[in-house]
Amino acid sequence: MNKPFQKIYFDPYIFFSLFLLSILGLFFLFSASNSDISIVSKQFVYVVAGFILMILVSQPDPAIFRGMSGLFLIFSLLLLGITYLFGPEINGAQRWVRIGPLSFQSSELLKLSVPIFLANFLFDKKLPIQRREILISLAIIFGCFFFVFRQPDLGTALIIAFSGLLVLFLSGLSWGFIGGSLILFIISSPFIWDILLQPFQRQRVATFFNPESDPFGASWNIIQSKVAIGSGGLFGKGFGEGSQTQLNFLPETETDFIFSVIGEEFGFLGVLLLLSIYLFLLLRCFYLALSARDRFCRLVIGGLSLTFAINLIINLCMVVGLLPVVGMPLPFISKGGSSLMSLFLAFGIIISMGTHKKFLPQ
Amino acid sequence: MIFEERQIEKNNFSLRATLLFSLIILGLMAVLIKVFSLQVSGYTDYQLAALKNKNYAVPVQSLRGEIFDRKGGVLVKNQPTFDLITRPNLIADIDSFLDEIGPVILLSEAEKFRYKKLQKEKASVNKELVLKKDLSTEEIARFNVKSFNFQNTFIAKRYRRISDYPEIFSHVLGYTSRTDDDYKSMLEIPRSHWKDVELSYAHGLIKGRTGLEEVYDEYLSGKHGQRVYEMNANGQLVQPLSFVEPVKGSDLYTNLDIEAQKSAAEYIGNRKGAVVAIDLDSGGINVLYSSPAYSINKLSNGMSDIEFQDLINDPDKPFFNRAIQGRYPPASTIKPAIGMYGLSKNIVNWNFEIKDPGFFIVPETGRVFRGWLKGGHGKVDMHKAFLVSSNAYFFSLAYQADILELSDHLFSLGFGQKVCLDCFDEDQVFVPTPEWKYSMMNAGWVKGDTVNLGIGQGYLAVTPMQLANYTAILATKGQFFEPSLVIFGNQEKSLKIWQDDGFDHSDWIKMHAALLGVIESDYGTARSIRDLKEFQVAGKSGTAELVSLDSKEAYLEIRASELLRDHSIIIAFGPMPNPRYAVSVVIENGESGGAVAGPVAIEVLKSLINE
Repeated sequence: MNKPFQKIYFDPYIFFSLFLLSILGLFFLFSASNSDISIVSKQFVYVVAGFILMILVSQPDPAIFRGMSGLFLIFSLLLLGITYLFGPEINGAQRWVRIGPLSFQSSELLKLSVPIFLANFLFDKKLPIQRREILISLAIIFGCFFFVFRQPDLGTALIIAFSGLLVLFLSGLSWGFIGGSLILFIISSPFIWDILLQPFQRQRVATFFNPESDPFGASWNIIQSKVAIGSGGLFGKGFGEGSQTQLNFLPETETDFIFSVIGEEFGFLGVLLLLSIYLFLLLRCFYLALSARDRFCRLVIGGLSLTFAINLIINLCMVVGLLPVVGMPLPFISKGGSSLMSLFLAFGIIISMGTHKKFLPQ
Repeated sequence: MIFEERQIEKNNFSLRATLLFSLIILGLMAVLIKVFSLQVSGYTDYQLAALKNKNYAVPVQSLRGEIFDRKGGVLVKNQPTFDLITRPNLIADIDSFLDEIGPVILLSEAEKFRYKKLQKEKASVNKELVLKKDLSTEEIARFNVKSFNFQNTFIAKRYRRISDYPEIFSHVLGYTSRTDDDYKSMLEIPRSHWKDVELSYAHGLIKGRTGLEEVYDEYLSGKHGQRVYEMNANGQLVQPLSFVEPVKGSDLYTNLDIEAQKSAAEYIGNRKGAVVAIDLDSGGINVLYSSPAYSINKLSNGMSDIEFQDLINDPDKPFFNRAIQGRYPPASTIKPAIGMYGLSKNIVNWNFEIKDPGFFIVPETGRVFRGWLKGGHGKVDMHKAFLVSSNAYFFSLAYQADILELSDHLFSLGFGQKVCLDCFDEDQVFVPTPEWKYSMMNAGWVKGDTVNLGIGQGYLAVTPMQLANYTAILATKGQFFEPSLVIFGNQEKSLKIWQDDGFDHSDWIKMHAALLGVIESDYGTARSIRDLKEFQVAGKSGTAELVSLDSKEAYLEIRASELLRDHSIIIAFGPMPNPRYAVSVVIENGESGGAVAGPVAIEVLKSLINE
């Protein structure tokens, strides 16, 4: 076992699921972009690059990721800093960093580096986790949350916070602490509402609870999304036939609201198929997490796959009107290179953690 | 870490991971349930909402029905004209476009200004805009030659509401004008879509405003069609989806007679007045003419403000429909009605004679009522009283009348009520009664008032329409039809009967003989028109006094002012002995009834009978 390249580390279930999602995603994107082949071909390039990246990333031993977790976090924060200093402002937010011809949403990397770093920080700590470790972990989590929140990008910031908290929870945070924190959170929520949220974010939440109050303004998106999904019916209107999508009544069809396109054109059966693939993918990750070789791998697989799942659920709940609108793409389907790359990167790491059973000789 | 600790840690992890993954699965289930409720339970609502989003229905204007005279001659038609229409969204540079098309069609600065003002709004939503209305044949020819230069421009047919007799039929046909409330006729199309209506008329959405156009507006209007477009979220029309053809309005077949109406107009000339003629077999109104008239073609298809103001301010009041709204004293034409009253109440009989001294004195007050002939007509019975139009005879008859009975009698002959079934805005006027006088003038009814009614003066006023209806009752011996402009079947209109126990068939025969004598005998007051025709005509002329004067000399003084001259009136029916038409003519300030109004009545009868 001294020859590391003797074996290709590969998980057929994850690979197959992601392949299916990506192919479907390209089809959906074609319809969602009003048959714009240039958008689809660009996305196709990302998908191919993503698969290559995933296969490459799944080869190194988990120990290497563990060893590099600190550097990874520092690199992510550095990118964030560069964005903050030099990034262009788009729609009132600084989220992108340009490296040569490529631009990248720097906060995406933190979704990976924060849970991996915390997994590394916590995997050898005694149960239950001590107060000192908790405080350090929380400081890291909320530090990263705050940086991203300032961009401002509430959606990604929340996901980053979740990714860290998930690892903290999985590593054995005491129930008492969890209960206490929840109570504290509820008490401080008015403060969060007033001080931390931007007016447009408050507006979104208000709209969510009373969508008919402003049918042509803020809640236009969610109403049109519901109409699109609802009018799809059981079998959908057919590929490229969705009037809400094709006539631009539905906003952001290529990104946040692509699920509504699927609902409109492929109906309940299409939705059922799509959700089944996601479910299958998540169950496979659950299995890998339980059968991983050590605590670090378990925490990383659990953290990354549950982060992915929360990302998914938030997008779905948002477009069907169960949650207020926050910017959150549908994983593997929505247009966009950064989020796709970070997803493939995450699954590459998950495969690495799940398929390396033996320890490297020390 | 020691083994047990690792096992505890692993179990702890498994528990927590299971918990979280279960929550995720619950989340997915919640989404699935929500999607199910949207797509399956709420499907119908959301499908409708999606259709409402994208389907943009616009009305397609229907053509109005046409109007015909009784012989099938066209009175009002839809005449196609041609408009130049553009698609502003395909025109890159409006100024250079206007410069280019300038030599092809002639554009006024106002038209250019209007076009520039509207084009941006229309261009942004793929809609059409009219550049020039009613192209001349030269313009159409020039455009067709160069049309390859103007791919974004085309010629479309738009109709105009046109009558070949715009002046003589103006009051009876009426005009149309633009309407804002057509949206009420199609509730399935939202009001805001009406600005994009597909027009059939160059003048836009139109509605009948007066005359037959108004009375039968609903019948003539038809039903607008609709075209449904697919519209995107930006309000741009993507493609037409469906089309429901408009239903043209029903054509209107009237009793009007073009030739007879022409005669009426021709013989009234530029005097003020009115003519009404009725077909006795049906009650159909063959002629309804009021002078002066105006052009309905101009009014229906856009008239300048100045022209319109001129019409409104014209002292001759051309908009005023004298035939159904003009109030005139019936003068001597009322005498047959007074005679009928006297006979039915047994106040007089045909043999009853008086000596006509040329005036009548009310015994109680000594008030003098004068006849038209100084010195009087000598001994007159009723027959002669009609022929020579003896005022004294009818003064004395009226003197013996009960005013309430007399006014009831006049009402039964159609006075004081609307008599036309489908005339626009007919004036019913009133029959004077003591109650009426008290409420209007706060004064009591005196015997003199009744005496004045005997010769159709005083408070009595009637319209030419009412006179014609009354003439029809006289001509048909009480078996008449209600007058109507439009041809009705037997179901809609049945025979009406005027009868009175005291007035029998022999009275009718004597009445006809007397009225025939008015025109055909050597003593008749209207004998001057006797030789204008081949057939025999019965009738009664009248001269309505506008000022009450005691002597002929006094009248000559005021005669200088044309507006104070007497009105000339005649009612007539023929051909005798089996009359087919009744006619009434009023000529304002025309003076002597028989000589002035008479020829008009005869000419109208001639053109009706000789057909």
